[in-house]
Amino acid sequence: MQIQGSVTFDAPPERVWELFNDPEALRRATPGCERLDKVGEDRYEAVMSVGVAAIKGTYKGTIEIRDKEPPHRYRLAIEGSGSPGFVNIDASMEFVPAGGGTQVNYSWDVQVGGPVAGVGQRVLGGVGRWLIGEFFKKMQAELRADAS
Amino acid sequence: MATRYFGQPIKRNEDPRLLRGRGLYVDDVQLPGMLHMALVRSPYARARIRRIDTSKALAAPGVVAVITHADLPANLQGPLPPLIPHPTLKHHKTQFALAPGQVRHAGEAVAAVVAESRYAAEDAAELVEVEYEPLPAVVDMEKALEPGSPLVHEDIGTNVAAHYTQVVGDVEKAFAEADLVFEEVFRPDRGQAQPMETRGVVAVYDRNLETLTIWDSTQAPIRIRSGLAELYGMRANQVRVIAPNVGGGFGPKIMMFYPEEVLVPWLAMKLGRPVKYIEDRREHFFATNQERDQIHRVQVAVRKDGTILGIKDVFLYDTGAYIPYGLIIPIVASCTLPGPYKIPNYHAEFKAVFTNKTICSPYRGAGRPHGVFVMERIINRIAEELGIDRVEVRRRNLIQPDEFPYDVGLIYQDNAPLRYDSGNYPGLLDKLLKLIEYDQWPARKEQYRKEGRYVGLGLALYVEGTGVGPYEGARVHVEPSGKVWVATGVGTQGQSHQTTFAQIVAEELGVRVEDVEVVTGDTGAFHWGTGTFASRAAVVAGNAVALAARDVKAKALEVAANLLEASVEDLELADGQVRVKGAPQRAVSLGQVAVAANPLRGTIPPGQEPGLEAARYFNPPQSAFSAGGHAAIIEVDPATGMIKILKYAVVHDCGRLINPMVVEGQIHGGVAQGIGGSFYERLVFDENGQLLTTTFMDFLIPTAMEVPDIAIDHQETPSPLNPLGVKGAGEAGVIPVPALFVDAIEDAFSGYGLRFREVPLDPNRLRQALAEAGVPGAGSTAA
Repeated sequence: MQIQGSVTFDAPPERVWELFNDPEALRRATPGCERLDKVGEDRYEAVMSVGVAAIKGTYKGTIEIRDKEPPHRYRLAIEGSGSPGFVNIDASMEFVPAGGGTQVNYSWDVQVGGPVAGVGQRVLGGVGRWLIGEFFKKMQAELRADAS
Repeated sequence: MATRYFGQPIKRNEDPRLLRGRGLYVDDVQLPGMLHMALVRSPYARARIRRIDTSKALAAPGVVAVITHADLPANLQGPLPPLIPHPTLKHHKTQFALAPGQVRHAGEAVAAVVAESRYAAEDAAELVEVEYEPLPAVVDMEKALEPGSPLVHEDIGTNVAAHYTQVVGDVEKAFAEADLVFEEVFRPDRGQAQPMETRGVVAVYDRNLETLTIWDSTQAPIRIRSGLAELYGMRANQVRVIAPNVGGGFGPKIMMFYPEEVLVPWLAMKLGRPVKYIEDRREHFFATNQERDQIHRVQVAVRKDGTILGIKDVFLYDTGAYIPYGLIIPIVASCTLPGPYKIPNYHAEFKAVFTNKTICSPYRGAGRPHGVFVMERIINRIAEELGIDRVEVRRRNLIQPDEFPYDVGLIYQDNAPLRYDSGNYPGLLDKLLKLIEYDQWPARKEQYRKEGRYVGLGLALYVEGTGVGPYEGARVHVEPSGKVWVATGVGTQGQSHQTTFAQIVAEELGVRVEDVEVVTGDTGAFHWGTGTFASRAAVVAGNAVALAARDVKAKALEVAANLLEASVEDLELADGQVRVKGAPQRAVSLGQVAVAANPLRGTIPPGQEPGLEAARYFNPPQSAFSAGGHAAIIEVDPATGMIKILKYAVVHDCGRLINPMVVEGQIHGGVAQGIGGSFYERLVFDENGQLLTTTFMDFLIPTAMEVPDIAIDHQETPSPLNPLGVKGAGEAGVIPVPALFVDAIEDAFSGYGLRFREVPLDPNRLRQALAEAGVPGAGSTAA
């Protein structure tokens, strides 16, 4: 499943880059994220609780930031698994200057398996897009909160 | 004249019990102290297992045991026993009780959790931590054959399990002499049986008697009994397997062993307490065997009068991750393709291909719908190319009534020649055309078109190999009460054996059908046999029942002759008595005869066995071939892609009918499943081998709304191969449905050049195809 899009942030790429490398901001913005612990350089362990259709449950996994080119782009490698199945995400995030602000272009390649794939596939795309949308909305809020 | 029971539409013996909710299904078995098993299943289609940590699960409340492959005894660690070998099946890879370090399809069992309740077991199963190393999965069977493809079984260096070719006549010569040659590619996709009752196993070990009793929703209790006894190192008579009422089998329950069937009895012995496992519906989607996906590349050589000279069919069969059941499905597909037509030159070749998907084994039809789909599609193409009516092309190629026995020239699934025993195919076709009013169709179709409606007529013919050996047996026993008790080794999953077998006995012994009690599927009642599959029970077990009943009759006459001081020739069995012909007042009840055959004192003649009882076996020399034709008139709404079946007609020939109502019931159920497989049901896997359709929201099964009224006519060409002259009827309903379904839809849109090569179609696919073909109104609704 491919989920692509772009979101604008009202701050220059350097600031947005910083935000997108702040574990606390990322934890608060990620829907259902219960824990995000740094376990190494650009490596985190996370616990997330998400429901898709009738399949609700907790995923545990790792998040790695790779191929960093500050403040232009990085990749996120996310691996999570739990009773609802597993989620593997390879996401590219690009931070492009756009008239004083920053346009974040994202392309998420999401692989899902287990019950969540078999039961939830009909709504998975919608739920995925919604989760990602929520994430960016909250990141925008983080930026605003920080600025105020 | 004595009352006739054989051939009558007698109401079912089993219904009073089932309709009152008094049936016993596996989940109804409740035993004191019973534990419950839940399985941890792989979410990956292909992965190595790096580590399993069961400590948290073991510490969970109510948990009694958590088992992984490493905890199994040596006899359960290896691949489970293969079922049906074949000389060309080079790599007979079979499944495991629990995955040994590697998983090969999503849903494969990795660990078993046993707890005081199913709730506790399920909760604890979530606590089992399995670390997987995901590997690229083999999903597409064509890609599986490409060099460099990942391998499902790395040790064999290939994804090809078997490569088998059968040739009849001189195919090259046929193509050289043909007026018309064409090629087609057909793709029946994956589907699955959805019995109302999912799989289930309960086992209890009795330490006092040293016996293991297992309730299993299997179609083959005797084979399960024998196999488990061997696996556990026990005597066969220490293991009793009971397949009680089974809520639908349809083929997948003939498979052995499912991991649960091996694990549950072993756990019951190990833990010293009864253990139960009931599969849930979601598990059923990926843990119970599937079927149907094949890719046929077929070349056809035809004379300009429409006579088929030769067919070359080369196909791939997707067997999934393992191939326990062997090559039955592709062999049956090859052997069913010729159907009622004369194909003098025929090249049938297939490869069985491993993929990282659920195992395939026969599902009602077992390759027959594929063969018929290919053949009937070919006939339509010939009709189109040559401008001859599709019925006429069929007629010109039919085997004639005076050509039986007809040798197709192939070797069938039972390793015996594919030789049709009897039939009348032109007779079937004529009845079918009459039932569907084919002569009036052109005018009706024109009228529909004038009304702006898209309505088409589809039809298909088929021959069904039924009643394969090797044997079945039965014991018929008359009680002092005069009631008759019959036991046979086959299991019953809704086939009405309690009625049809009772009718066979009632006919022979002159007793009422309701006075004959038939026990099936209990190895404690009859312990030799094979199982219920391949439309064989009525043919093989039914004839064993008849032979045993005839022996009982002979003995009853002998014993009664002594009691009545009459000669055997002057006696008859009727109304539950043995009586003197023409003098019915001189009679003894069958119960009195039973008592006299097993006296407390006195004498019985030398050589006579005690009791009014006999056991007999029937071993058919080869399969008996049923045949039939279905036709349907289907209306399509091009805006939505939805269909409506306006009329459905079936003409069916399964030799002598034991109970026409039961045969019609079989046909109805088969047609319903055929409609599902033609239009509603598809298993969709993603590119990583994840099954995306594991609910009835996505895998649509037909309901009463989608199943039309079905007009049925019978033809009876008795089989010369068995005493009753019967042939099987279990799969007939499903076999031709995909073929006639697409035929009807093409006919509805004749002139638009639509040609369907895949099943199932579904409303989306159909609507898209209609839009692409430029059908007015198609795709006009918002997507």
